[in-house]
Amino acid sequence: MIQAIHNVVPGRARYRVEKLYRCKELKEHLEFHLSQQLGIISTSANILTGNILVLFELNLSTDRVKELVAEIEQNYSPKIAVNHQKLNSNLQQKSDDWYALDIDTVLAELQTSDTGLTQVVAHKNLQKYGTNTLPETATRSELRILLEQFQSLPVGLLCIAAGLSVATGGLADAAVIMGVVGINAAIGYITESQSEKIIHSLKSRDRPLTSVLRDRQIVEINTAEIVPGDILVLKAGNYVAADARLIATENLSIDESALTGESLPVSKSTASLIAADISLGDRINMAYKGTLVLGGQGLGVVVATGKFTEIGKIQAMISQTPVQTTPLARQLDEVGSQLVMLASGVCTLVFAAGWLRGYGLLQMLKTSISLAVAAVPEGLPTIATTILALGIQDMRKHKVLVRSLNAVEALGAVQKICLDKTGTITKNQMSVVEIHTDTKLSLVDGDLNIIADACTLKLIQVAVLCNESVVTRDCHGEYVVTGSATENALVYMAIAAGIDVLALREQYPLVDTKPRAENRNYMRMLRRGSLDALSSVSTQHQHQQHFAVKGSPGEVLDLCHWRLNDGARVPLTAAERLAIALENDRMAGKALRVLGVAYGYESTELVWLGLIGMADPVRHGVKNLIGQFHQAGIDTVMITGDQTPTAYAIGKELQLSRNDQIQILDAQDLVNVDREALQALCDKVDIFARISPVNKLQIVQALQAVGKVVAMTGDGINDAPALKSANVGVAMGTGTDAAREVADIILEDNNLATMIVAVSQGRTIYNNIRKAVHFLLATNLSEIIVMAIATAGGFGQPLNALQLLWLNLVTDIFPALALALEPAEPDVLQTPPRSPDESIIKASDFQRILFESTILSGSTLAAYAYGVTRYGIGLRASTIAFMSLTLGQLLHALSCRTERSIIENIPANQYLNLALAGSMTLQFVVLAPGLRDLLKLAPLDGWDLIVIAGSALFPLVVNESTKQFHGTQL
Amino acid sequence: MKQDFMFTSESVTEGHPDKLCDRISDAIVDRFLQQDPYARVITECAVSTAIVFIAARFEPNTNVDFTNIARQVIEQVGYDQPAFNAKTCSILTSLKELPCDHLYHFDDQLTDADIEQIPVKNQVTVFGFACKQTPALMPLPIWLAHKLAKQLSTVNHKNILPYLAPDGKTQVGVEYRDRKPYRIHSITIVASQDTTQPDLAQLQDDIRQTVIDAVFADEDIRPDAATRIFINPEGLFITGGPYVHAGLTGRKNAIDTYGEYSKHSGAALSGKDPIRIDRIGAYMARYAAKNIVAANLADECEVQLSYSIGLARPVSIQVETFGTGKISDTELTTLLEQHFDFRLAAIVRNFKLRYLPALTPGGFYTKLAAYGHVGRMDIHLPWEATDKVNALV
Repeated sequence: MIQAIHNVVPGRARYRVEKLYRCKELKEHLEFHLSQQLGIISTSANILTGNILVLFELNLSTDRVKELVAEIEQNYSPKIAVNHQKLNSNLQQKSDDWYALDIDTVLAELQTSDTGLTQVVAHKNLQKYGTNTLPETATRSELRILLEQFQSLPVGLLCIAAGLSVATGGLADAAVIMGVVGINAAIGYITESQSEKIIHSLKSRDRPLTSVLRDRQIVEINTAEIVPGDILVLKAGNYVAADARLIATENLSIDESALTGESLPVSKSTASLIAADISLGDRINMAYKGTLVLGGQGLGVVVATGKFTEIGKIQAMISQTPVQTTPLARQLDEVGSQLVMLASGVCTLVFAAGWLRGYGLLQMLKTSISLAVAAVPEGLPTIATTILALGIQDMRKHKVLVRSLNAVEALGAVQKICLDKTGTITKNQMSVVEIHTDTKLSLVDGDLNIIADACTLKLIQVAVLCNESVVTRDCHGEYVVTGSATENALVYMAIAAGIDVLALREQYPLVDTKPRAENRNYMRMLRRGSLDALSSVSTQHQHQQHFAVKGSPGEVLDLCHWRLNDGARVPLTAAERLAIALENDRMAGKALRVLGVAYGYESTELVWLGLIGMADPVRHGVKNLIGQFHQAGIDTVMITGDQTPTAYAIGKELQLSRNDQIQILDAQDLVNVDREALQALCDKVDIFARISPVNKLQIVQALQAVGKVVAMTGDGINDAPALKSANVGVAMGTGTDAAREVADIILEDNNLATMIVAVSQGRTIYNNIRKAVHFLLATNLSEIIVMAIATAGGFGQPLNALQLLWLNLVTDIFPALALALEPAEPDVLQTPPRSPDESIIKASDFQRILFESTILSGSTLAAYAYGVTRYGIGLRASTIAFMSLTLGQLLHALSCRTERSIIENIPANQYLNLALAGSMTLQFVVLAPGLRDLLKLAPLDGWDLIVIAGSALFPLVVNESTKQFHGTQL
Repeated sequence: MKQDFMFTSESVTEGHPDKLCDRISDAIVDRFLQQDPYARVITECAVSTAIVFIAARFEPNTNVDFTNIARQVIEQVGYDQPAFNAKTCSILTSLKELPCDHLYHFDDQLTDADIEQIPVKNQVTVFGFACKQTPALMPLPIWLAHKLAKQLSTVNHKNILPYLAPDGKTQVGVEYRDRKPYRIHSITIVASQDTTQPDLAQLQDDIRQTVIDAVFADEDIRPDAATRIFINPEGLFITGGPYVHAGLTGRKNAIDTYGEYSKHSGAALSGKDPIRIDRIGAYMARYAAKNIVAANLADECEVQLSYSIGLARPVSIQVETFGTGKISDTELTTLLEQHFDFRLAAIVRNFKLRYLPALTPGGFYTKLAAYGHVGRMDIHLPWEATDKVNALV
């Protein structure tokens, strides 16, 4: 029974689940399975209340969420559940040189067999050995986040200040100080726990299910429940779930870079290795947890799980997994600590100056401490992290799933984007449009009406016979074709030509397949039976087997010695070869993918049949999009397996190059190209043609070596290493799991256009962080200057401790956060990407900040001077200074919105308007009788208010009129 | 004018990186013209280690598979070692489209006025030369150097010396007496080998037998006892080719013409379509010079043609016979102006330069890339015809 308790807030719902009460297993079951669902951001079930809180994306209805919860709850069966609590005290797993043992010994040692464990034994093993999980970095609990708000330097200082107040009898003072601390902590807690949740939800997505053999059947189980003795089913594109000794392999190759740092995939086998002490990378009969299966398949018996795996041991050695920090946060941390030094120096000076001037020691101590609190920008990294996290949430609304904080930052700096042709630029919907046989050209129209002569018919047959698409008939007798787009297109062509595909394949059973490989651009299938009729003149005797070949026209043609002339086999002359090559050029020039088709009885003396030209239409709007990337200063690079003329035709159509020259690199073997040469080349290339996915990694690395920030799109299993290596790996929502798991961002709507949105968001977020930091630094600095000058000059204390705290911890916070939510500047996609080496606050920024804060403090000091002249040093003058500075700072937030003039047409920021209105209201509320005593304020008259308004507006006017905006400064 | 002297000329095989680039460039020109006789293309090529660079500008109505052609050429030339081979080398193509200029899409039915209206698009001074030192009317040193290089290449292709690699160069020094070849002064051959590392003495012996002896078998002047013969004087030249030294289109202009025996233009010949006067002007000048010598109007003749952008006719035609002329050089010039049409469109039409690639099996310009664009006896070249002799006499 599921009961909705609260679902008014969009994207957030709480349900009561009856069985959840005191059932930890169900809690884990629900949390795990819900997190696997698309659109669910996070879940938290409470076994004490029996409630579950679900945060989800807005496109999901609350009813749908309820259904999901109900479904998952129904699937829960208490029997399978494991008491995880007991598992903490698990047995030491046997660590052995498993690679040196033969398969039978391994199976015997682990008391298992190649048919898998039974559920019962598996259950026992789980109790015995523990779950297959790595010690995770514990997520910060809500309590801890709250506590951490009080564990900072400023709070410590404030507590001292409060203590001093109590000591001097100022109980009210102490209460206000602690109140300020409380408000500040509350704001910090709310924003941080929000971002913590978002960051945590990034992690929870990669907890996939794993296929194992149990009770002779392949079942999908929670990866955490894998135990030693389980038989892992390894498939291309999956991560290996635990350390395993391989017992069966078929072309299995694994990327072990996560473990060994070696980027080349390792070919695996099952043979036992004799030598002792073989290094991890050479144990070719083992598969290790956390590595990625790139190709082939295999079975392995699990020998170690969880922290006993190799990767677990490494983690244990480092003793902690690195906490997610971003380069940005680190930079800000550095800036922050520099400012701490500066602030403490100034505070000491103010204290010394005040003391020498004869102000009370305690009073000065309190003021200096408050000034220190106000001036120390301890929150910079936190603010950056919060903004990044909020950005991630915002991007989700645009169907961009971001999987790491760094990616957001990198997105804004992307300089080069490498695009897969198939699927990204084109629709990956191949269809045959031209067939060229014997010198005759057949254009295939929309209905695939082919007037088939004998040669064309044979070509179509061979195209089906040399084809890996799986063809079946559904219950209505319709064909169901599954396979790659290219091969499917050939099958559809045959179906349209009226060929019974299933019968044809049955007639010629498959004997052997030689797939395309790195140095062989054609596929060859050996099939039983002869393709030529007995009566045919060309065959003297009936052949037992024939080869059906299709692939790159050039390479297939090289294998041919003959062609068909009215069904008879005649030698292929040089002139005919040239004619075929010219025809290939012509078809490729129309951006068709061209395949050559041949058959024969000897593998190097084939009979040429003809060329098939297939079109893969370019996605709508891609050309426009390429233009947008170029406008945003991002270079576009296309990666394709097509031959050069096809690639050129598409590149030309899309205007892929930013000048009128298109550079195409055609290489099958990038590994052997000199590293420096490759780096020099890659930077210039617009199109990589005839590239196999494996080479993408080299392209990314070469581009990065010349200092580029690279984004790379990819879908396939082979793309995974490149996606991982790229600064921003981009996978499509429909991509393989492998690609999705390693990608930094996932475009859920499979639309490349979303990428430009992501870039724009990335840049905006970066700019917003700069704006918020700029605002905070400028306002903090202005306070320091006001205090330092007034105290040193002997003009009394313009601001007392409480006012400083109020100013800094209450009124400034909201505008700073609102600046973080600034909408994108209108030209964010018209400027080139920022340089990756550029620091977030440049020297010129510091100069500007110093200038702005000087104006701010100068204006405040002028207002203070007016107050002092009129009322003498005292409450009233200080109230005028306090009001001037606060309002001046709030108005300064407007100026910080953009580096151009704010009078220009920039999109409105409602949050900032709200924040300013709120802060200003607060500011005037504390002036109210009764409340004003707390901050030690005096009532003001009309003139005072005019002076205050003037001194608050003056910095805005000056700072605006001195802005020097150059388009490139952003 | 000097009468007794020694002169050397060199040649290289088609596997030499510079020549490989020339050949790739010309194969691309061939393919363009095979697809469309009116195609315009200018291709330059460079090769270094295992990377081939192709830069091409062409009119957009045709599209050819640049990389595939390059790979075919590399394979034909015989590079099959792992260090550099047709399959695995990387090819960077840099393609730029030219605006279509319909003025140059002229057909064969041109009137004289039409021809006059088609100006040249490049400025160049080209030279043509002929002399009576060989039956091909070429200077003897380059003739012999080509013959040796070609034989060296044949020996490699026919696998007579299995350890040979495609790269190689030859040089022949000829002593002249009374401005006539007198004896062979020296012969140098550098041949590259694959990694099997044959014995050097064996190599020298083999080359001598299979290359030098074969080449001079039917020559009037043969090496004598005093002729200095150097075969791989610096030792073995393992692998050779682009892996060892880089190559560039148009770097072997002397080898393409007269082996420095006469003047030659600095402009490259290979990789240009027939609308480029700096290519076909050189052919035309040779045609004129050869006909003068064949008509016995001189023993040696150098024809100079200077073209300026925007004009159809050469701005200057000069003949120099080095004192061997039967009539004065000025009279010869007048004869040329009377009997030869030096205008761009006329040359293209008369030599059928646009149709030859389609009519010649294996391509036309590709064959020119190595062993000389002029003085060839092994292929039929329209500018080697002596069909104007009767008119001149």
